[in-house]
Amino acid sequence: MKDNVVLRVVTKIIVPVILVFSLYVQFHGDYGPGGGFQAGVIFAAGFILYALVFGVEAIDRVFSAATLRIMTALGLLLFAGVGFWSLIGGERYLDYDALAQEPLVGQHLGIFLVELGVGITVAAVMITVFVAFAGRTPD
Amino acid sequence: MLTLILLVLLVSMALALLRAVKGPTVYDRILAANAFSTKTVLLITALGFLVGEAEYYIDIALMYTLVGFIATVAVLKVSEFGNLGQSGAVRSTPAEQSHK
Repeated sequence: MKDNVVLRVVTKIIVPVILVFSLYVQFHGDYGPGGGFQAGVIFAAGFILYALVFGVEAIDRVFSAATLRIMTALGLLLFAGVGFWSLIGGERYLDYDALAQEPLVGQHLGIFLVELGVGITVAAVMITVFVAFAGRTPD
Repeated sequence: MLTLILLVLLVSMALALLRAVKGPTVYDRILAANAFSTKTVLLITALGFLVGEAEYYIDIALMYTLVGFIATVAVLKVSEFGNLGQSGAVRSTPAEQSHK
């Protein structure tokens, strides 16, 4: 599909837009529709579109299999880490009030970090699933 | 007025769906599915103005546009080449890939 010039140009134009939109959904999720899961899926969709046109090996240049594994674990670690951070702060698990002196600041910081963790994990898992399906070669 | 627009959109979506089911060739079906997703975007936007929270619904409509484009590309690729991943000829065997 790489030799199709319309598809190639449109993909190169639209992929950055998709990635920026996913960041918007991620960080604007407090005020509008969105959140970590949706942002992760949109982020992965951008890479999936690129891989559809330029071949699944193109993903390897940015996210190798090892990087994807690390990202999956890293997002989960961020999520659980925020929970244990609030435990250390003397509150219940994932009670964001413990993260800062001011409860409002703590709530903002907590939901930001937790959603970021969800987004990283979901994006990595979605790309992994696509690579696992599309990377197979026909027998 | 907006309710009338919604009704017209729903009728035209039903017609596109009819073409997708009946369509003699695979390109008719893909084109009908693409038209259906475009009309869904319009429906979401019109619904947003009807409800009065257009700023939220336009975000969702934008998202639907992008995902609809990706879905069309994916379906076209599968129907044309029979696989999702390879950009051209198959280069490596499964045994080589598992060593990565």
